[in-house]
Amino acid sequence: MIRFEKVTKKYAGPGRPALDQVTIDIDKGEFVYLVGQSGSGKSTALRLVLRELRPTSGRVYVAGKEINRMAGWKVPRLRRQIGTVFQDFRLLPNKTVAENVAFAQQVIGKSQREISKVVPETLELVGLKDKADRMPDELSGGEQQRVAVARAYVNRPMILIADEPTGNLDPQTSIGIMNLLGDINQAGTTVVMATHDHGIVDQFTKRVIELEHGSVVRDEAAGSYGFQH
Amino acid sequence: MQLRYVFTELRTGLRRNLSMHLAVIVTLFVSLTLAGVGILLQREADRTVDELGNDLQILVNLCAEDDPSIRLGRTNCTGGETTDAQRERIEQELDASTEVESWDFMSKEEGFERAYDQAKRKGAEAAFEGEDPVVTVDKWPAAYWVTLETPDEADGVISAVEGLDGVSSILDQREALSQIFGIMEVLRYGSWIGASVLLFAALLQVANTIRLAALARRREIGIMRLVGASTLYIALPFLLEALVTAVIGVGLAAGALAAFQFWGVERGMAEQVTFLPWVDWSDYQEVLIGLFPPGIVILGPALTLIPTLLLTRKYVKV
Repeated sequence: MIRFEKVTKKYAGPGRPALDQVTIDIDKGEFVYLVGQSGSGKSTALRLVLRELRPTSGRVYVAGKEINRMAGWKVPRLRRQIGTVFQDFRLLPNKTVAENVAFAQQVIGKSQREISKVVPETLELVGLKDKADRMPDELSGGEQQRVAVARAYVNRPMILIADEPTGNLDPQTSIGIMNLLGDINQAGTTVVMATHDHGIVDQFTKRVIELEHGSVVRDEAAGSYGFQH
Repeated sequence: MQLRYVFTELRTGLRRNLSMHLAVIVTLFVSLTLAGVGILLQREADRTVDELGNDLQILVNLCAEDDPSIRLGRTNCTGGETTDAQRERIEQELDASTEVESWDFMSKEEGFERAYDQAKRKGAEAAFEGEDPVVTVDKWPAAYWVTLETPDEADGVISAVEGLDGVSSILDQREALSQIFGIMEVLRYGSWIGASVLLFAALLQVANTIRLAALARRREIGIMRLVGASTLYIALPFLLEALVTAVIGVGLAAGALAAFQFWGVERGMAEQVTFLPWVDWSDYQEVLIGLFPPGIVILGPALTLIPTLLLTRKYVKV
């Protein structure tokens, strides 16, 4: 589903490349943790998958397509197959929960009929059915992250990318979010999650890919967080 | 494409940046009006040249049958209509003169048609029509339009040609015309310089408005890009905002120019100064939708849409 072939990404200026000859293969339906210290290249890897960045050399494949040479106008179509969740939720403060989720459908041109069917379904899935009309600032952090997950999942993407989704949440709430991501993964979506949260990694055992200074130093099918920082 | 979002965004966008939009509209309005006045003056100058020649031209009228100069006691035309031999002689003199840049022969038929057209425009065609018209082709003189090298040197050629047989009269309006053209030129360049400065200001304001709008909406734009909204969809509210301001600006300018044309030209100058041909509503139409120079209906939207397209590409790049 996602394949990196000898991918190197060098940012402008001097210094080591952010990613150095990285080769990774992630199959459909997998759940993968991307771990490593700050600056190890996790975020760069995720942004390459979204084609927010292009590799300096090497190839990135998503769903069988080489995306680094994809024409610009095709990029939106690629991104419709990928849901994204961030540490800071990134909700629109002036829209209700339901509107925030619906927004992801409206802007890619889904019909009102489909939106009014899928949005409540998705809110039910993340356990926020009865908070559909609340504003984001009336919700707890965990609830806001659930809204963000609902928004990322509402278009039923093949891939869900989560960049430190539990970074701003307490351990108890984090478990709830992990269960939710686990459910989404069970339903067939490939999940790639960059994280610093060793408690979570050790508790929900999945494949772990560890990056260090832009290189893959560990790739374990059922790994642990593995290092202290 | 579902456009409800786009129109909601357009409405909030217009409301959010109301003062900036008003500034753009006012600047566009004034600059387009000035540009329009500049184009009108240009067309006015063209019309004057068409009818009266430019300030480099003198008109050498040849003899017609029964030429009026005979009644004034002059003898150049006593031989009747100018003969080919006489014309050859005149052309030799014109070719020989260092003051002459070029010359054009206008036959009596061409001259008559031209005068008839001009008379029709002024509503004075009666003299050309009817059973026994005052003006006929045969009474109309053929002529040479002589274009000079410099506007103030014509004495040599005038004295060389004036006395020749077959030359009825020489019409020299350079002085009067050069004043008129001088005034028109000053006004025209003034309005164009004013228009360019203001159009530049309008461009900067459009750029500024987009920057502010993109900043105000950066969260939405970020999310739209991530969930895969197309660039066009993201840029559409910006483009529509630009279009709305352009349409209002153009509308105001078109109204101001219509008022200028009606009260300033038709009910104003045209009634005071009757010997000049004046711009009419067909010129006004050209000012609105002409291609070269571009009319304000093209200029206005282009001025807001092009920077918007360029800048949204920069700010909302996918």
